[in-house]
Amino acid sequence: MSVMTMVQSINNALDIALAESQDLVVYGEDVGVEGGVFRVTQGLQKKYGEERVFDTPLAESAIVGAGVGMAAAGLKPIVEIQFSGFVYPAFNQIVSHVSRLRNRSRGKYTVPMVIRMPYGGNIRALEHHSESMEALFSHIPGMTVVIPSTPYDAKGLLLSAIEYGDPVIFMEPKRIYRAIKQEVPEEKYTIPLRKAKVIQTGDHLTVVTYGALVREVLRAAMKAKEKGYSIEIIDLRTISPLDRDTVVDSVKKTGRFLLVNEGPSSFGVGAELMAVVIEDAFLHLEAPPSRLSGYDTVPPLPKGEHHYFHGPERIFYEMEKVLKF
Amino acid sequence: MNYIFKFPDIGEGIHEGRIVKWYVNKGQSIRSGDPVVKMETDKVVTDIPSPRDGTIVSRHGSEGELVNVGDALVEIALLGESEQTASSETKASHVAIVEEKGFGVVGKLEVAGDSAYLPVSEEGRLIRSDGVAGLKKKVLATPTARAMAKDMGVDINAISGSGPAGRVVKNDILRAVDGSSKIPIPKSAGEQLPELESPAVTLEPLTQIRKTIARNMIRSKQSAAHMTVFEQVEVDRLVDLRKRLNDKLSEKEMRLTYLPFILKAVGAALTQYPRLNSQMDMEKEQLIIHHDVHISIAIDTPDGLMVPVVRDVNRKGLLALASEMAVLAHKAQLRTLQLADFQGGTFTVTNYGAIGGTYGVPVINYPQAAILGIGRIMKSPVVRGDQLAIGYLMPLSLSVDHRIVDGAESARFIRRVMDFLSEPDSLLLV
Amino acid sequence: MFDQYNPLEDKMFQVMDQEGQIVQPQEVLALSDDEIFEAYKFMLYARTADLMSVSYQRQGRLFTLPPNLGQEAIAAAAGKQIGVQDWLVPAFREMGAWLLKGARLSDIFMYWGGYEEGSRFSEAPRFLPSTVPIASQLQHGAGIAYAMKLKKDPGIVFAFVGDGGTSQGDFHEALNFAAVWKAPLITIVQNNQFAISVPVAKQTASKNLAVKALAYGIPGIKVDGNDYLAVYSVVSKAKQYVAQGLGPVLIEALTYRRGAHTTSDDPSLYRSDDEEKLWELKDPLRRLRLYLSGKGLWQESLDHELEEEYRKTIEQEFAIYESQAPYPLENVFQYHYQDMPENLKRQLKEQQRFIKWQEVNQ
Repeated sequence: MSVMTMVQSINNALDIALAESQDLVVYGEDVGVEGGVFRVTQGLQKKYGEERVFDTPLAESAIVGAGVGMAAAGLKPIVEIQFSGFVYPAFNQIVSHVSRLRNRSRGKYTVPMVIRMPYGGNIRALEHHSESMEALFSHIPGMTVVIPSTPYDAKGLLLSAIEYGDPVIFMEPKRIYRAIKQEVPEEKYTIPLRKAKVIQTGDHLTVVTYGALVREVLRAAMKAKEKGYSIEIIDLRTISPLDRDTVVDSVKKTGRFLLVNEGPSSFGVGAELMAVVIEDAFLHLEAPPSRLSGYDTVPPLPKGEHHYFHGPERIFYEMEKVLKF
Repeated sequence: MNYIFKFPDIGEGIHEGRIVKWYVNKGQSIRSGDPVVKMETDKVVTDIPSPRDGTIVSRHGSEGELVNVGDALVEIALLGESEQTASSETKASHVAIVEEKGFGVVGKLEVAGDSAYLPVSEEGRLIRSDGVAGLKKKVLATPTARAMAKDMGVDINAISGSGPAGRVVKNDILRAVDGSSKIPIPKSAGEQLPELESPAVTLEPLTQIRKTIARNMIRSKQSAAHMTVFEQVEVDRLVDLRKRLNDKLSEKEMRLTYLPFILKAVGAALTQYPRLNSQMDMEKEQLIIHHDVHISIAIDTPDGLMVPVVRDVNRKGLLALASEMAVLAHKAQLRTLQLADFQGGTFTVTNYGAIGGTYGVPVINYPQAAILGIGRIMKSPVVRGDQLAIGYLMPLSLSVDHRIVDGAESARFIRRVMDFLSEPDSLLLV
Repeated sequence: MFDQYNPLEDKMFQVMDQEGQIVQPQEVLALSDDEIFEAYKFMLYARTADLMSVSYQRQGRLFTLPPNLGQEAIAAAAGKQIGVQDWLVPAFREMGAWLLKGARLSDIFMYWGGYEEGSRFSEAPRFLPSTVPIASQLQHGAGIAYAMKLKKDPGIVFAFVGDGGTSQGDFHEALNFAAVWKAPLITIVQNNQFAISVPVAKQTASKNLAVKALAYGIPGIKVDGNDYLAVYSVVSKAKQYVAQGLGPVLIEALTYRRGAHTTSDDPSLYRSDDEEKLWELKDPLRRLRLYLSGKGLWQESLDHELEEEYRKTIEQEFAIYESQAPYPLENVFQYHYQDMPENLKRQLKEQQRFIKWQEVNQ
């Protein structure tokens, strides 16, 4: 058992996976020698060699596209996109091939690939370094989107994703890369994909969230507790395919629902969850399901960030609206 | 006021530097942009310029010394800015940011301190049975039904539903409101109505009774197809009978009003025309015809209209009815009527004649089928044979639910009641 | 060879001219006359199947498809040298190579006839399905090549792309990656001079397409794509080069798209009859006929016989496709994940319910 940050736990997961399977390769920009700009792949090239852990030329489309070929040829690529804001050139490969090759070839070729990328904002960074576009990926048929919220979960989920036979987009909330330390066992363990987790039970309101906001929601829930409200908090972990049952069972119990996330509000993850809640828990609702997401704007540069990224107070304000309906 | 200039994070990911050379001394005046100190970091050797105009009050650190990002370098007395308190340029971060060199390339990430960390999760390693969150007893209901229940002040979870899959539907709520105890809706904190003090109006908050009356009236009008029949009946013999009977009563006993006679007449007529003693069940598409006659009596109280029930009218004598009604009236004045006193009525009589009205269009007491309004008995011109005479006329207004009762039947019923009232002897034959 | 035919000098490698005359005597010895005759017969078969496909499409029995007319030599000459352990990463206009890799004509009909099953090529290993986004397959080729190298697998990757595809970013990125990796990738650019209606002169300001190889530090060569012998020779040399682990090679095979872009395209809108007639004379089968005639191996009646025979075979293959069971509903859902997620299960069930409802209410 060690105390690890998420950066360390992900590094640990990659280490375990590389040791276990010779077909695994880890690559991207700056992941080899430098060990990744966030040090997530630190030490891996030294340990496993340049052929399996390497730096590529600066071309996101090819990073993903070549991965498709490698997967078809029997390797298991774990590719890194340096920031989620840089993934857009690779979008064609992701939508057209990564998620489709199995269907196109009727299962003859599959793409057991993991595309890792730091995502999310509120870190006082330049533009394109604060993106939260998980909804775009979640809308792709054949794709799986995973977002961990703690070091323990990050390791278990990544190991599951690596073992999984279909592509996974693994989005790492960079804001909490080092902000949370947790006891993490050094041995291998996995956390199932497609399974949300109830991290706090409650009776009055179901709040669904993920990534860096789990911490903020917990803080808001503490404030709510002082006012006599009991909040049930669910960490989605796998955004798509969604664990409908966990969310719906909770809403059937509490009758109220709130989604909290970062990305743009309209046409986002919140819209899907609200639809699911209405479809399956309509007769149990005491208030309309609601969502607190980012604005339908580009995340502002650092001086304007405080307007955009919602903290525990704003989350509590939103909770109260639903509770008092 | 003094400005404390701290060693800034100049963005290279550094966290400390070495003072190479001071450019300023205590007491020296300085302009914004002038170099304050030469610093050496792992990445660069650079001059740090002053962010403000002013005079150097003090210097911290000597040449060759190591300082951390965020440590004070100099304190500057500012020119002409007296209202500012000593502020710092870089916000002192409450989290110990020990950023590693070159970490992340852009942005600032929070770094957890060493003292606090989360405990390990059990998931994925040990076999664990997750306690299934027990579902609290809750009913199925559409949001509109929930809204209705909330408006009517009823706890929807206490209502049993007759809809699909046990869903609570509107009628269930309406039925429940009729007899259930009401749970007051707490007012949400901080949402008081704005005070409107104006001489032209007085604001009277609605009492529970007023609210109930309002609801019931609307409900009745919206469900029943009201139809009203007006009649007048010659009651000379009744007037006479009442006088003679009252004369026989001792002072201790109840004095008879006309109401007990009316109740007996109505009760007898209902035995013959039971459809006016029924209620409509639209959900099950049936008519519930009551065998017993329990008559709701409208009583005017200072708080508003109340309609307690006199039970089993057909089995009670005049005196029993009279005393029961007196008791109810008394309780009404004292506000001691219980819920049970209001339940079970199958027909309603409302006597506004005592106040002085003649005809009315009474509103049916939901969910009954009919209501009889009694107007004031007055000496009026009457035709007997071919002669004009003076007689006592009692005006009657019968409202029926036309869904249940047709015109002909309501006419026959009221005729029967009139027969009993004009010839009260016939009540003995019932 | 790569040095002799420096693309900067716009030199084009040719063995047999359009009249069937050998202009590079020493190269001819690489193939015997029998082998050349076999190649001709195969190309005739491929052409017959191609023409019949267009005909089937016009009859409404196949959907939109891209004719191969005029380009058969490239697919045949390259395809002949793609071994079982080698990879074929197709574009969509090299049917001859597909057949030589082991695809059945019935598979190909299945694909253009609207079944994904057609792309399975169950009898042809190491053969990616054709895909629509132009040039994106080249990145897959680069990745496969890297994997071959890492696994010390002798397989070589043959990737096809058209002149239009060389403008795509994916072309550049793939060649760059493969070059940096020194991966065993042979990229064959079929320059048929049209990307739908856009002529290659509007596609690039480069002298030719082979010259782009120099930017990546890899060999590039321009070859007469209608000359079977030349293409065969170049591909053979490229294989040898790549097999030594020296890195990727770019081959530009110049040809002409004698047919339309697809069966939904009308070339008369953007090119002249004269041009088409000019290239008819350069047709790959025409020059082989002239050559083989000269060797007493071909006469016109032979074509008729062969075509008859091929027609029968092709019709049989087509019949296999046409007798396919109707597309089952489950197949729409089945192949997206190794394990179907809840949302797909639900959607499938709902559609199944609808179908039952239809049956009852009909």
